[in-house]
Amino acid sequence: MTQAAATEHHEPVENTSTGLNSRKLMMWAFLASDVMFFGVFIATYLVYRGKSLVGPYPSEILDIPLTSVSTFVLLMSSLAMVLALHYVKAGEKNKGTLWILLVVVLGAIFMGFQFYEFREFAHEGLTPRTNIFGTTFFILTGIHGAHVTIGVIWMAFLAYGSHVGSLRSDNSLDLEIAGLYWHFVDIVWIVIFTVIYLISAADGPPAGVGPTIIHG
Amino acid sequence: MANLWQKLTQHDGNGWWNLPHGPSNELNPPYEGPIGGAWFGNLWRTLTHGNVSHAGVGFYWLVGLVLAIITLLEVWLFTVEGLGGWFIPILLFLSVIKFVGVVAYFMHLRFDNLMFTYFFASAMIIGILIFSLLLVIMKYGNQPVLF
Repeated sequence: MTQAAATEHHEPVENTSTGLNSRKLMMWAFLASDVMFFGVFIATYLVYRGKSLVGPYPSEILDIPLTSVSTFVLLMSSLAMVLALHYVKAGEKNKGTLWILLVVVLGAIFMGFQFYEFREFAHEGLTPRTNIFGTTFFILTGIHGAHVTIGVIWMAFLAYGSHVGSLRSDNSLDLEIAGLYWHFVDIVWIVIFTVIYLISAADGPPAGVGPTIIHG
Repeated sequence: MANLWQKLTQHDGNGWWNLPHGPSNELNPPYEGPIGGAWFGNLWRTLTHGNVSHAGVGFYWLVGLVLAIITLLEVWLFTVEGLGGWFIPILLFLSVIKFVGVVAYFMHLRFDNLMFTYFFASAMIIGILIFSLLLVIMKYGNQPVLF
């Protein structure tokens, strides 16, 4: 790292052919590939949207208020992440550790919401094998959930590192790279929440087919 | 209360939001209250210029608040009847604002080297092209029999 051609308010210039930090560039390259990965699954969901011939259908099963809360939780975890990076960079160890821990907690709460939702759906009769909605829904949200799980484990290690002093302001790039991953998981959920939950929530059974779930 | 007003209307070098300095590192004007032109100018500069250092805690809270309000707005829109064909475009527009907010400020693209922005924007364009092609092919191609 260095050739400190940097002024007080600019990032240091790296001694690489691009002038960019290679690890950070690698994370952006990974995120770029992940954009296409999720893009394909979201497109697949949209292609098969409204084509299930048997229920349960989105209008019968999606719980918008519950998912809104979990979306809010994930959004706030992104705020906690950026604050954690700020404090670690500033050398404020305790605050940095606390905010990273909050990211872990909020991420775990989001996972809890997703686990609860999957369990409820299975209870209502929707599994990946039930219909095309179930298949595309569980694959997309399941892969996103796997990303969140990896992120939570990664953040837990970083929180421990910050606590014992191995994560400091001089190697805060470790946290910055993990943060890029975490924020990416958040922006993917922003799209999933809009496309799958808000836009598709009104999708009911095809014309002439009655409801499959009768709520009490 | 007086303390809050003081915080809102005064600063010690870099504004209440602790916004980054401009690209030319010019000194901040002495007044950066919420209704001042200078304060607005500084906020606008932060929103539109990259390659300045990361923003401060107050600014991140502000971005977080805006994102939370937009999420609430989306959920409220879900309950509003009579939006008709406007419902999906409005939701997509709000979703794009949230997306850009997180990428630009939380992922620091606005404050980082412009190369990262080009890199991610290129991936987004390719991703959207794949996305659109898949939708078009499946719309006009032969679709498989579904179960």
